[in-house]
Amino acid sequence: MMYILEKKNVDQTLSEWSAKYEVYTPQKVEAYSQFLPFTESSELALNEPLNTRYPPKSLFLPQSEVMLKYNKRLNKFDEIKILPEKRIIFGIRPCDASAITLLDTVFDTDEYQDPYWTERRENTILVGLGCSEPPSTCFCTTVGYGPFNQDGLDALMTELDDVYVVEILSDKGQKLFSNFPASSKDQEQSVLNIQLKAKDLMEPAFETENLKQTLDQLFESDYWSEIAESCLGCGICTFLCPTCFCFDIVDEVQRNERIRNWDTCMFRIYSQEASGHNPRPTRAERTRQRLMHKYSYWLDHIDKIGCTGCGRCVRHCPVGLDIRAMLRAASNFEREVVNVG
Amino acid sequence: MPELTTELRKNIEQLLTDQVVDVVIAFKKADAPLRPQPAFFRNLEELEDLEYNGLCQNNLANYLTRYPHDTKIGIVVRGCESRSVNALIVEKQHPRENLYMIGIPCQGILDIRKIIKKTGEDVTGYSEDGDQVSVVYEGKEVNLQRSDLLHDSCLRCAHPNPVNADVLLGEPLPDGDPTIVRLAIEEFEALDRDERYAWFQKEAERCIRCYACREACPMCYCTECFVDHATPRWTESDISQAGTQAWHIIRAFHQAGRCTSCGACERACPMDIKMTYLTDKLNNDMLEVYQFETGMDDNTQPPFASFNLDDKNRFVI
Repeated sequence: MMYILEKKNVDQTLSEWSAKYEVYTPQKVEAYSQFLPFTESSELALNEPLNTRYPPKSLFLPQSEVMLKYNKRLNKFDEIKILPEKRIIFGIRPCDASAITLLDTVFDTDEYQDPYWTERRENTILVGLGCSEPPSTCFCTTVGYGPFNQDGLDALMTELDDVYVVEILSDKGQKLFSNFPASSKDQEQSVLNIQLKAKDLMEPAFETENLKQTLDQLFESDYWSEIAESCLGCGICTFLCPTCFCFDIVDEVQRNERIRNWDTCMFRIYSQEASGHNPRPTRAERTRQRLMHKYSYWLDHIDKIGCTGCGRCVRHCPVGLDIRAMLRAASNFEREVVNVG
Repeated sequence: MPELTTELRKNIEQLLTDQVVDVVIAFKKADAPLRPQPAFFRNLEELEDLEYNGLCQNNLANYLTRYPHDTKIGIVVRGCESRSVNALIVEKQHPRENLYMIGIPCQGILDIRKIIKKTGEDVTGYSEDGDQVSVVYEGKEVNLQRSDLLHDSCLRCAHPNPVNADVLLGEPLPDGDPTIVRLAIEEFEALDRDERYAWFQKEAERCIRCYACREACPMCYCTECFVDHATPRWTESDISQAGTQAWHIIRAFHQAGRCTSCGACERACPMDIKMTYLTDKLNNDMLEVYQFETGMDDNTQPPFASFNLDDKNRFVI
């Protein structure tokens, strides 16, 4: 079933939804866009050629989150109740939605459920916007996804002239759009064509077959120090990444709060031990951890690559390091070793 | 610029052949035409990838502190980079005799974001000739003016020529106009206290604490940064107001008399945060109060690091 949301009605629709839900949409901030709560004065940035710079994972795993407060004088803890409002995230790109399904396998497993994550997930409707013209820095098709991938979404919009054609992907999505006009057969055919064309536009960025084995074999090699030589060791690639989820729990003793902050394997202190020893002493080992986690360890756990090809790390690396080039170099590096040996 | 790259390549070839240096820090071509990368040349074959143009974003002096002091390093330096290298020599981060500075009078670094704003992201070709920059976007050539694309720090550059370089490639350029340097500072100073705080808040609080500004800065070489100190913790760890403001203000203060206004911090920031207004103001104070400019030679201690028993003031601080 597909419905029609006219572009000229988007503001009004979001405004109506805002009465019942907290609605998040990509909005202009400086020269980039970011998911922010919708208000009447919001400047929507739905048709930006590039995805939001700051990843929407932050709406489920905030960069800094107060987990509990304590009162030292009364020797008492106050757990923070998570009372998430009902939310709609409108215009999320398929790479970011599928990244959230990957993170479900971390924060919501049979064994452990992180209540901060699961409550937000349950109370959120994800309305996706597919990418008709994927930018050259994106590589979702290479890692097994696509510009109109449906994973994690309740509805998926395809831009078609003056309208968004909405595909319904869950009951939550059906409920949200049931009062909208239905699309015509012609429109549905056009949507199919747009989706196929977008996928065809994307060239494979690197070889994924045997990539895990290649990286595993390179574990002790010089490959890592070669690719990491210009790495600054900042947190851009991991903080902007929709699948990176590492965190650090800190007691802010002056505020009497326990906080969970994003952390990153690219920082020296990430693996710094209290003894003074650091098992990942240089940027080479840290870069190895970042790449191996995404392209080897995720496969060990759930047999999927832990990257959805959003391209943020490629676009925003301050020294122009490109994960696609690094992975191509890995395959070539192995061949050189084999030839020599 | 291709002529300059050729001249640079010849120069580096000679340095490596004659074993004057062990490694040369420069830039190389990347797959994306707008993104030349810092590169480390140790043998002649690699030199094919050498690149030099207005898109070379980073301050290469940043990499000096990664090497043992006995490594003989060749480094490509523009005005600001040479002054960062000099400042590092003063701070004993690498001995001058083990450095070879290949100087290039700098016409300014182009801001990639300004280019993308005019064209779009998928730029497939790039060339520059004098004030003309030409990029290929969606198969079409787009001609742009270099002066429209300069990074803000480069628009305000006072010293485009390398200081103390061992060799200079190209003709020296006229110095920048000091009144232009002051314009941005005066704009900030003209605001009242509340407006200045609002400005600072708007910038600092977008921070995601990725520390790209720190890692891109040649002078931020501390083994343990104050924000990483955990026992005791000296600043709040999170992206709260207090946490991000503390980072921005303390980072800037640690740069007093050490920053060369290269702007690498702003170019690295993923959230487009302005921060040179703080360091430029401090630099200007250092100039007005102490007649000191960072890196203009390789032996004068910055005022806040110098100490002598005959100090005319009773206390050092």
